[in-house]
Amino acid sequence: MAKRLKIRQPFSDKILDIFVYIVIAIVFVTSVYPFFLAIVLSFNEGLDGMLGGIYLWPRKPTLENYEKFFTDPEWFDAILVTVARTGLGTVLTVLFTSMVSYGLAHRNLAGRKFYMGVIIFAMYFSGGIIPYYALLRSIKLLDSFLVYIIPMLMNLFFTLVAISFFQSLPEELEEAARIDGAKELGIFFRVIVPVSTPLLATLAIFMAVQHWNSWYDTAFFVRNQSLATLAYRMMAVIRKADVRMVSAAAAGAYSTVKTTSMSVQLAAMSIAVAPIIFVYPFFQKYIISGITLGSVKA
Amino acid sequence: MKADIFKIFWKQRRLQLFVLMGMAFLFVFNYLPIFGIIMAFKNYKLSSGVLGIFTSPFVGLKNFKEFFGDYKFPFLLRNTLVLSVAKLVFTFPLPIFLAIVLNEVRNAKVKRVVQTVSYLPYFISWVIVSGFCQIFLSMNGVFNDLFAAMGWQRMQLLTGSQFFRIIAVFTAMWKETGWWTIIFLAAITGIDTSQYESAQIDGATRLQRIAYITMPGILPTITVVLILALGNLIGGGLSGSNFEQSYLLGNTGNLDVSEIIQTYVLEIGLSQGRYAYATAAGLFQSIISFTLVLVSNFVAKRISGEGLF
Repeated sequence: MAKRLKIRQPFSDKILDIFVYIVIAIVFVTSVYPFFLAIVLSFNEGLDGMLGGIYLWPRKPTLENYEKFFTDPEWFDAILVTVARTGLGTVLTVLFTSMVSYGLAHRNLAGRKFYMGVIIFAMYFSGGIIPYYALLRSIKLLDSFLVYIIPMLMNLFFTLVAISFFQSLPEELEEAARIDGAKELGIFFRVIVPVSTPLLATLAIFMAVQHWNSWYDTAFFVRNQSLATLAYRMMAVIRKADVRMVSAAAAGAYSTVKTTSMSVQLAAMSIAVAPIIFVYPFFQKYIISGITLGSVKA
Repeated sequence: MKADIFKIFWKQRRLQLFVLMGMAFLFVFNYLPIFGIIMAFKNYKLSSGVLGIFTSPFVGLKNFKEFFGDYKFPFLLRNTLVLSVAKLVFTFPLPIFLAIVLNEVRNAKVKRVVQTVSYLPYFISWVIVSGFCQIFLSMNGVFNDLFAAMGWQRMQLLTGSQFFRIIAVFTAMWKETGWWTIIFLAAITGIDTSQYESAQIDGATRLQRIAYITMPGILPTITVVLILALGNLIGGGLSGSNFEQSYLLGNTGNLDVSEIIQTYVLEIGLSQGRYAYATAAGLFQSIISFTLVLVSNFVAKRISGEGLF
């Protein structure tokens, strides 16, 4: 069968094949190379790295950048804060969002239409950043670790995804538990949660990524630098980079320090990217299901 | 009738509690700030507290007039629109193209690996992406090395006004193409394979099959995604990246093209403390966005018979 197809393949199809492989080669390289080069440079002496010309392998290999990163209390605090908010924030958002959605999934719920309207409107219209800031200020969330957790408890997009997921579960599950005398909380945790792993895992991945990458809330809602997140610290280095890199180069000529704020930043970037790359292969099916579930809704 | 509703409500009280938890959340974090918009029409100072939002004197449209009269207003509007439209025009077709290309890869393993790798950038924060920009676009970066090898001058890519939009478009492509490819590839997978088989028997080349089966097959998906993107045009397209790009890649060198309404609102509001004025500027953008959502939803209903809401 395969052979016969090959013989019948017209010339234009072969050209197409070549074109296709060129395109995917370009896609592969452009997607991977920036990560690769950042990691390579993070293992190179900072001042030397600024001279350029490194593409595939460190020219002056060193672990200095990582040493500097891990011995700097500011970077270290940032990691702790980021891990804490990612862990706590993800668990609580998954819990909160899925519980609210479970309630809304009941088609006979009194006031359901109204509730859905409230959600849809909130998705498309907001008060904007300044009234939001005034709100956080008045409920004393500014400058507090909780500003990372509480405002993110309910994810509207995933609320809609979760509602349609729960509605796809067989109703008999809930009815059987009810006949056995279980109450809502018991039904939710003992009957619904165990059969909802695909949904909960998808939601958990997207929330974890969002928390891990977040810098916005530190930048605008938190002054206390001991609460700075990893992404925020990197952002701060980037925003100051054009000034600092010049002075680092000038200082480097006279000192024995070979790291620069940029090279330590590269170590930070590699460390920030590492968990995402490591867990990435394991969560493929949930990532795909996340967007396809969502697009059905959209 | 009314009593019935209360009865049902009472019977469902535990379930209602689940939902009311969410409604309370939305009331505080989404609806209270919407009431706060009122400060755009007032002479509000943060020092007067939250209640000051309601007690401070009305000034009508003064804040809006001031915003429209600001010498920066034409630049802000132009930058916001140019960045949004440029990103939509150049980044939107790419996922469709990549989905079709990936669908033509016959080695399933190669296809899966390339696809998986292509949406890795979606999960990386814009902070990391701008870190990559600094590696690749600095004076001694990879791109300037390339230019030098071709005999060109090395250029200040990150701080030059003429490069900001190109960089914004390309980084948006890099970060988001793979992600949106997933949707289009899923749509292609949904096409009835018997169509391809009969076309093959009729002697259609693969290019012809792409043009006459694949493209029409994913047209409804393209329409829906395009409408979504139009709805979020001002935010920067499908994933709304305008703010991040402008904030992270913007600097004193390219401020004339990189500053957009969103970054201006933050600067004027949170850094300079002109809350009422900044709220007015932000509201101007919210209204444009919301109108775009309504219009695109209306168009979606007309075309596909089904809107987003």
